[in-house]
Amino acid sequence: MTSTLESVSVASASRAPRPPRRRRKLGAERRRAAYLMLAPSVIHLIWWIGIPVVATFGLAFTNYDVIAGTVEWAGLDNFREIFADDIWNLSIWHTVVFTFFTVPVAMVIAVIIAVLLNQRIKALAWYRAAFFMPHITATVAIALVWMWMFEPNLGLFNLLLDWVGVNGPAWLSDPDWAMPAVILVSIWKGIGLKMLIYLAALQNIPHDLYEAADIDGASGVRKFFAITLPMLRPATFFVFIVSMIDAFQVFDQVYVLTPDGGPANSTTVMTYEIYRTAFGEFDISAACAQSVVLFAFLLVLTVIGRRLTGKDGDEA
Amino acid sequence: MTRTRGSRTRAMAVALVATLFATACGGSAPSNDDEASGTIRLLTPIFEGADGKTVLEKQLGDFKEKYPDITVEVDYTSYGKLNEKLTTSIAGGRPYDVMLMGVGWIPPFAEKGALAELDESKQELTQRYNERVVEPGIYQDKVYGLPIMLDTRFGLYRKDIFAEAGIPGPPSNFAELREIGRKLTVRDGSGKLTRAGVDILSNDLRQTFLPLMWANGGELWTPDGKPAFNSPEAVGALQLMTDIIRTDKSEDFGFTQPGATGLPLAQGRAAMMVGHNNHLLAIEEQAPELIKEDKIGFFMINNERPAMFQGGTLATVSAKSQRPAAAKALVSFLTDEQASLAANEQRGNVPALNSLADSEYVESNKAAQFAMANLDAAYSEGGVPAWLEIRGDFKAAIESALLGQKTPQQALDELVVKAQAAIAKG
Repeated sequence: MTSTLESVSVASASRAPRPPRRRRKLGAERRRAAYLMLAPSVIHLIWWIGIPVVATFGLAFTNYDVIAGTVEWAGLDNFREIFADDIWNLSIWHTVVFTFFTVPVAMVIAVIIAVLLNQRIKALAWYRAAFFMPHITATVAIALVWMWMFEPNLGLFNLLLDWVGVNGPAWLSDPDWAMPAVILVSIWKGIGLKMLIYLAALQNIPHDLYEAADIDGASGVRKFFAITLPMLRPATFFVFIVSMIDAFQVFDQVYVLTPDGGPANSTTVMTYEIYRTAFGEFDISAACAQSVVLFAFLLVLTVIGRRLTGKDGDEA
Repeated sequence: MTRTRGSRTRAMAVALVATLFATACGGSAPSNDDEASGTIRLLTPIFEGADGKTVLEKQLGDFKEKYPDITVEVDYTSYGKLNEKLTTSIAGGRPYDVMLMGVGWIPPFAEKGALAELDESKQELTQRYNERVVEPGIYQDKVYGLPIMLDTRFGLYRKDIFAEAGIPGPPSNFAELREIGRKLTVRDGSGKLTRAGVDILSNDLRQTFLPLMWANGGELWTPDGKPAFNSPEAVGALQLMTDIIRTDKSEDFGFTQPGATGLPLAQGRAAMMVGHNNHLLAIEEQAPELIKEDKIGFFMINNERPAMFQGGTLATVSAKSQRPAAAKALVSFLTDEQASLAANEQRGNVPALNSLADSEYVESNKAAQFAMANLDAAYSEGGVPAWLEIRGDFKAAIESALLGQKTPQQALDELVVKAQAAIAKG
């Protein structure tokens, strides 16, 4: 008997108190309202992201003839085909080169600009807006202006080079200069957002750290390397990963500045090659296989980023 | 019968993808509606910008008067974006009723059943058009496309620069082309090219190479449909381009490119070029005095035979159109004298109809006149269903030869291997 009572009391103690019926009803209503409000977003995600992603993965393993509307199983044929294609392999290399030069270089410049714009200087807001402007301006508009500046005979760059007695190259039509030109535009365009993130991070660094360093007689350079840079680590990881993913997905400026993959395919990047395969050659299945490879690259980068930022968070 | 786990997975994957696409692409079957009425959709890459839209709207106003029961919804695009529009509309199960497309596009689309046969015969068409103009719209003896306009490529030269140098006329073979090119090339003291003797880079490289190949006696395909663009004649044509750049240095790679700001010929930075008939419009905008003073001349690319590249725009009807009668009425309207003349005028192109040779527009446009007078020597690209996959590879192959990365023979041999793979893939 005692044991029964004990077990009953233990059971009732472990069970959560039953909410009153009215509260339960309210909870169900709130859940329904929440689902209802979430529904447009969920439907949007499934329709515009979920289904295309599933279809992309599915089509990568098929031969889908978009004009005839036929689908046949192809196994790994598309992957074999794309990796046997010199231009696709070249596009991977170009994407890596583009990323290598745009991400670290733009990050260094962005940190320097953010540090400068974190000082008390005149027209600070104007400078910040000016540096951020390229990020919010349409890429196509930017690319068109840069196209004019790169024009070999009338463009700004070669006019300036002419003044100092240098024969400027044909920036966008010379295979040796087309990629550097695209990288230059991309660095310029990408600095604004990176600078903004660094600026926010700089403003979160406790000022007393600098005061302590001042008391210890640390120089400005020493303070930058001993305090500012280490304190910017979380922001740096974030900027690095986001920029890497952005760089792997670059398309607009490459497409406008150097149509058709640039001279001798010198600016053919992965996204452009996917576009060309799908809409130039109508080979949707191969384009899907290329997209899966790009996805794998981005997934690896994201996982590395998560690991790094997660570890950093744990330490904090 | 035992089915393996792998085969079940494969079957399920195919079923999943097929279901997804059946849902997405499930356009309804074409209607047998013979009545020319209803709403039809037109996809056009040739009425670009506000000016193009104005021209087409005016024409469609006239069409509406003639066919009050047909409403036309227009989707304006450019040739650069045409593939995307066509692909997505067909994949989405809602193809356009009337599609304007380029030369070389008919075999791929007709082969896969995307185009409806038009109620025309080759014999009837050759009464109205030059036979060369009709051929790109025909696939396996059936007419799928009616020509609206022609985009031709041939030689353009500066008469004033030739006269200054004491050169009596344009080149009549490859050797003369090189010789005149070398003679008219000008570099400054630092070696910078200030005037190209021959500009082969302002025009699309494939469309520069092909007329040279045809002029040298080459063909794109053997009679049984195999790639022939690595023949000695084709290699000779690419060798000529390579010699112009690498040996004669009559132009530097990177000196200009298609669509560059300013046409070198108009600016006096080139003495002659392989160009498009509508480069005359560009010259008229950039240096109108050259037209007024008759300083621009034209010549056929010539070696073994005269040749001219003939592209163009054809009007087609989708095989899945719900209003085929209305769609065919629109095709007839767009290809008639009035509408096609307006379309050609706004693009500076060459009318396809023989009857327009005497039009005021053609009489005022010397490039159009020249092209129409030489249509018997016009050659078109395309010809096989895999053409759209093959054509994109020409540029890289030609560039690899011009840059000295490969010999012309190697570049074209590799191109042929790629073409064979594309044809085999089907």
